[in-house]
Amino acid sequence: MDSSFLIKLEDVVIGYDKRGLLDSIDLSIQNGQFWGIVGPNGGGKTTLLKTILGLMPPVKGKVQYGKNHPLIFGYVPQRENFDHIFPISVAEFVAMGKYIRIPVGRGIKKEDWKIVTECLEKVEIPHLRNRLFRSLSGGEKQRTLLAHALAGGPDILILDEPTASMDIKGETAIMELIGKIKERDNLTVLMVSHFLNIVARFADHVVMIDKDDEFFSSGTIEEVFSGETLSRVFGLNVTVEQVTDKIRIYAEARGSDKKT
Amino acid sequence: MDTSSFGEFIRSYFLWRDPMIVGAVSGAICGFLGVYVVLRRIVFVGAMLSQVSSFGVALAFYLQGFSALSLFQSLIDPFALSLVMTGAAALFFALNREFFRISQEGVIGFGYLLASGIVVIIADRITHEAHDIADILFGSAVVVDPKEVYIVPAVAIVAILIHWIFFKDFIFVSFDPETARLFKYPVRILNTVLLLTVGVVIAVTTRALGALPVFALVVLPALTALFLTEKLNWVFVLAVLIGILSAVLGYYFSFILSLPTGASITTSASLFFLLGVIWQQGRLLSRSKFG
Repeated sequence: MDSSFLIKLEDVVIGYDKRGLLDSIDLSIQNGQFWGIVGPNGGGKTTLLKTILGLMPPVKGKVQYGKNHPLIFGYVPQRENFDHIFPISVAEFVAMGKYIRIPVGRGIKKEDWKIVTECLEKVEIPHLRNRLFRSLSGGEKQRTLLAHALAGGPDILILDEPTASMDIKGETAIMELIGKIKERDNLTVLMVSHFLNIVARFADHVVMIDKDDEFFSSGTIEEVFSGETLSRVFGLNVTVEQVTDKIRIYAEARGSDKKT
Repeated sequence: MDTSSFGEFIRSYFLWRDPMIVGAVSGAICGFLGVYVVLRRIVFVGAMLSQVSSFGVALAFYLQGFSALSLFQSLIDPFALSLVMTGAAALFFALNREFFRISQEGVIGFGYLLASGIVVIIADRITHEAHDIADILFGSAVVVDPKEVYIVPAVAIVAILIHWIFFKDFIFVSFDPETARLFKYPVRILNTVLLLTVGVVIAVTTRALGALPVFALVVLPALTALFLTEKLNWVFVLAVLIGILSAVLGYYFSFILSLPTGASITTSASLFFLLGVIWQQGRLLSRSKFG
């Protein structure tokens, strides 16, 4: 068995309630890679992510995990997922990320709080530990979520729209921080994003998925992000330019020539 | 305060000792569990379960009237039947989302209305126990059944023990069920256990105090505590204290002013809620004034 991969999908059909959304997906994620998952709204990104995470069984085929199995996932959900009625402090929120290693019925110990402090330092917000999570700004919340994901000592970091509704300053700061932590801890990263240029700049591999068009493509950024495929998937006129060692993506509406 | 009334109250210790113990313990445990009910935004689950519990008691009274069932008289115990029915309702509510996919509000509304309707029908049929049924619904009983002095604290201790062990886990699955699932936490089992503890506590306290005060003790102390503090652990502590105070003061005023006990407890809890609102508004005002 090839054990160099961290996660492998071979001839997998993703979907729910036994209904396949997209046939025959092959994907191999190696240790230390940074993957982006992109596609139009409702294109199947979340279903693919949930299948990879084991939250949703594939309709057909099997998701295989490499020698590190069981993998420890550090999950960064979207910021809007949490009910603000809960008076949860930043430290309490980050501690929940450690629960992956704390069995049910066991409380939080002193050493767990030490890890919380370390994670808050890693994301540069130790001063916010006693603040309420609900009272934070968007950028502060994103850093807290990142610390929460790091608290479990993950093999793989899963980011769901980490830069959604952030300004360019916040977006750059959080993505550079993610890049820094990835390099320092040699993490594998899987990021769902609508921002193609963010993916092109920070990821080295990408999955592009659109169930309505029965489209699935995976590979390096240069292999997948071509003007032709992006135009087809997003229904826009897309041009791709090489700027130094990265690519830049430009898009314009097709007017009446929209994808149906 | 009228000192002669207070003196009379103290001298009548033997009269109010048992109801006061049951009331205070009920206030504490309902206040504690109410924090989950409020945070999970299922406030009317408290109303539904206490109504289903009343339905169980009323049904037991009704069935006891059938001579054909005389062999099963000992089984048709109001307490046992209300416990079974409330437990079943809590279980159904916990598992609904995954198996039946009926909206939470739909289940709560249906459960509340069905139980209320049947209780009224039964009350109409068994006029000789109608007063008992009114006690169960509105909590106008001044005295409690002697066995409840043991049952209510015993159930409260078991519930607190379960919550002591699984405190972190119940908070986790309530706040972030998606991540809990990813971490392979038994989310469905934890949710079911949590709601069953709420159901069982509501069943035994409704039998002792009545549906209306139990609903008030489940909802209002927790809401008040959320006004008073922004620290989660303190929310639980304050909800317990406010629950106890609401029950104790409710009984006290009911005793000295000859008020219906259940309504008096409900009003006490409501007054604490109003004080909480005033406290929160004052704090918000001072924050906006002084930055």
